[in-house]
Amino acid sequence: MAEANQLFKEFKIQSVSEFFRRNAAMLGYTGKVRSLTTLVHEAVTNSLDACEEAGIPPYVRVEVEELGREHYKVVVEDNGPGIPEKYITHVFGKMLAGTKAHRNIQSRGQQGIGISGAVMFAQVTSGKATRVITSTGDDIIEAWVKIDVEKNEGKIVKKERHPNPKGWRGTRIELEVKNVRYIRSKQGVYWYLKLTAIANPHAHIELIEPDGKLIVFPRSTEEVPKPPVEMKPHPRGVLTDDIYRMSRKTRRNTVRRFLVGEFSRISDKKVDELIEYIAALRLIKTEQDKNVQEQLYKRLAEGDVKAVLRSFRGYTKVVKQVAKMMEKPPEKLTWHEAEEIVEAFKYMKFLAPPTHGLRPIGEENIEKGLTTILKPEFVTAVTRPPKVYSGGIPFQVEVGIAYGGEIPSGFELLRYANRVPLLFDAGACVTTSAARSIDWKRYKVDDLDRAPLVLMINVVSVHVPYTGTGKQSIASDDDIYNEIRLAIMDAARKLQTYLSGKHRRLYQVKRRKTFEKYVPEIARALSILVGVPEEEVKKYFLSFIESRFSDSDVEEPAVVEEVAENA
Amino acid sequence: MPKRKIHREKPKEKFSYDPRKVLKALEEYGRRVLEDIKAGKNPYFDIPMRGISNVYFDEKARVIRMGDKLSRRYFLNVAHARKFMQTLLIMAYVKRLVSEDKHASLREAYYANKHTIPGTHENTFEDQSESDPIIEDLERMLGVLREEMHLTADRRGYIYGDIVIRDGEDEFNTSKLGRGGWAVPGTVEHLQFVEVNVDYVLVVETAAMADRLIEEKYAQKENALIVATQGQASRGVRRLIHRLHYEQGLPIIVFTDGDPYGWYIYSTIKQGSINLAYLSDKLATPEAKFVGMTMDDIKKYGLQNVTEKLKGIPPNKKGGPTGDYKRILEEMEYPWFQNKEWQRQLKMALEMGVRIEQQALANKSLEFVAKEYLPEKINNGELLP
Repeated sequence: MAEANQLFKEFKIQSVSEFFRRNAAMLGYTGKVRSLTTLVHEAVTNSLDACEEAGIPPYVRVEVEELGREHYKVVVEDNGPGIPEKYITHVFGKMLAGTKAHRNIQSRGQQGIGISGAVMFAQVTSGKATRVITSTGDDIIEAWVKIDVEKNEGKIVKKERHPNPKGWRGTRIELEVKNVRYIRSKQGVYWYLKLTAIANPHAHIELIEPDGKLIVFPRSTEEVPKPPVEMKPHPRGVLTDDIYRMSRKTRRNTVRRFLVGEFSRISDKKVDELIEYIAALRLIKTEQDKNVQEQLYKRLAEGDVKAVLRSFRGYTKVVKQVAKMMEKPPEKLTWHEAEEIVEAFKYMKFLAPPTHGLRPIGEENIEKGLTTILKPEFVTAVTRPPKVYSGGIPFQVEVGIAYGGEIPSGFELLRYANRVPLLFDAGACVTTSAARSIDWKRYKVDDLDRAPLVLMINVVSVHVPYTGTGKQSIASDDDIYNEIRLAIMDAARKLQTYLSGKHRRLYQVKRRKTFEKYVPEIARALSILVGVPEEEVKKYFLSFIESRFSDSDVEEPAVVEEVAENA
Repeated sequence: MPKRKIHREKPKEKFSYDPRKVLKALEEYGRRVLEDIKAGKNPYFDIPMRGISNVYFDEKARVIRMGDKLSRRYFLNVAHARKFMQTLLIMAYVKRLVSEDKHASLREAYYANKHTIPGTHENTFEDQSESDPIIEDLERMLGVLREEMHLTADRRGYIYGDIVIRDGEDEFNTSKLGRGGWAVPGTVEHLQFVEVNVDYVLVVETAAMADRLIEEKYAQKENALIVATQGQASRGVRRLIHRLHYEQGLPIIVFTDGDPYGWYIYSTIKQGSINLAYLSDKLATPEAKFVGMTMDDIKKYGLQNVTEKLKGIPPNKKGGPTGDYKRILEEMEYPWFQNKEWQRQLKMALEMGVRIEQQALANKSLEFVAKEYLPEKINNGELLP
């Protein structure tokens, strides 16, 4: 707790601009293009989340207006439930106010500071307050929000109340920012929204670019995804800090009840087992002989906890001590004890974590999203069943393939983590290496870099393992890598079926033409030979071809091949 | 030099040429295709296969014959359709030629049938190398000669000697047409032999040697008909030789260079060729004999100085055998060369590594070949089988 206090104190005395400069990379506000994208991302994410929670099909409109050199106004408007007046400062002002930051829940938010970061960014670059117009259906509230750095909370600088005769509901925020640039690149706002639209087919997204151009990414499904539910952490996926922090917040009155109640896959019996493991670990640590110690660790790992205990004299005393620890109030749990618990978890066996909280986009919706936005001639998607990585963290992989149609030549990989497009650090991402590791020729894609192919990969998890602080690429975990590969191969097989079918149909048409073009020649010759009118002969031949090709697939008759003409 | 009467053999067969037969066969095939297509069956032609895999040597008749392997050419087969169309085109063309009693050369037949297929950039025939094989296919399929279908090849070869031939309305003696003799046409079916005053036929490979013999009055002195093949014998010449032997009973004696190519010319006249195996009955003359040049002639007539080295690498050298050596080894394997005399000649050629041309005899004197070499060998029966 002392450490936390210290941190907080330091944070307070830092100037806002200092805080931003120091943490810019971590927060996503780095680079002129990326900063703008991050800003839009935070606002759009907020809108989508709000709509989904209220069960409203989202309608999000983004407007980027150029006010001067590297000086823009960003407007994001949605049809969400609106923000009640008293929460406005809470939503837009409080840093780390995010309700999800420390919850075990799948979320779009990656940075944990969300829209308040955007407000802060606008504030430090342009010095202007963020204008918020919102209504829950009653009066329309127009407020100018700033962040009070001293108190780490939002402050309404000016507020106006307007009548709402038409019953408008939603939120519109206007941020004025400097030191950013709008470019239509693959890291820019346009690309970000396009990718967001693909992964959120239930959302209607519009963009007005600085030059006044309106771009619409229409909605392709009315079905609003259910908001993700919180999942209790799995013992294999927790850190000492998690246990320590959670023990301070819990309302359970013993450590035992805290463990059973706040974690998944821990029962009363598991706690009894845990007691034995902790006791065993304590005892092993007292052993002087290194070799013996090694052996005991090994036996423990094999699950032979009883035998390990029995090899120490008076082990029951230690077990009782540990059992006592389980009965004390959780807030009395020490950091050291939390460490012991985490260490024991590593040796124990648990059921795989529950996966009901994961919210994949779904095969059907991926296909809809890709079809509406990219207009391909072929689309397919695969949502793999949930899996677990590093022992206890559930994740799920989804892959979509769009081919041909209006897609230009050249392979394109669209990367997502929890539906959020990843636009940077593609080279370091596990999705990139997995996609490249596929032998595409096996799936009838002869030249990947020239194929009109878009591959979309969405990794869904409560805790996506990012590389570095930028959170723009997914770490190369073997379990995730393999799962992505399997998903791609699943989808690629469907593509292969389509492509070979396409080839076959083309081939049939070509074959048929080969025969038909000779018919007039044959008819004339045969007419000379047998004296039957040319037209009649022609009719016989054409109807013969027709009948042979209508029986779907005609196999070539088995024939003795003609010998090469070598006269 | 006393004339030695060479015994004339009795004619074995006669061939009759009947245009109606060709027309009937063509119509028959056409009707079958039409019936197949009406019945919803994939129409096809059965064509006897060409090439070495479908020929064999008939020991009894001593000719190369065609086997019974067929290749079936379907309409509804991507690989066959074009040839199927071409076959019908040529069939229709032949029907018109025969019924109008016109003759066309192979090249004319190619141009007459070549045109762009409507709606495509494809020609019915891209090259004469496409139409020629179709014509050969038809010969095998219908069992008739190209000449019977009124299609002719370039003429090559001429004859000189005291025989009277009727060609249409013309009647002439081939020894009274000047030193150039009479050029053999592509088609000899219609020729009639009015009078035959010769004892045998001497087939000569090179025109130069034939001209030499004519100038030396060999035909008159030896009572022979000189046939110049000018290289490999054309079908017309082969057919003429065949007819002279079987219809007029004239013995055939072949005189070529002493090299693998010359011996192959002899082999073709005698047993037929692989390409035209189906025509052996009409073209080959197994009773033909060989007078020279032989390897023995080199020693016997002292021609060592006028031999030439064989081309290629000998079999015992690295990379060998190639060129002439390879050819000789192949000929040693021919069934009709499986006799002591020929094996000995071929072996000698390999050992000596030399070849000897007909004209090398001029080394002795210009008259030598006509006055001594040929009369001696022929009258003494020094002939190879």
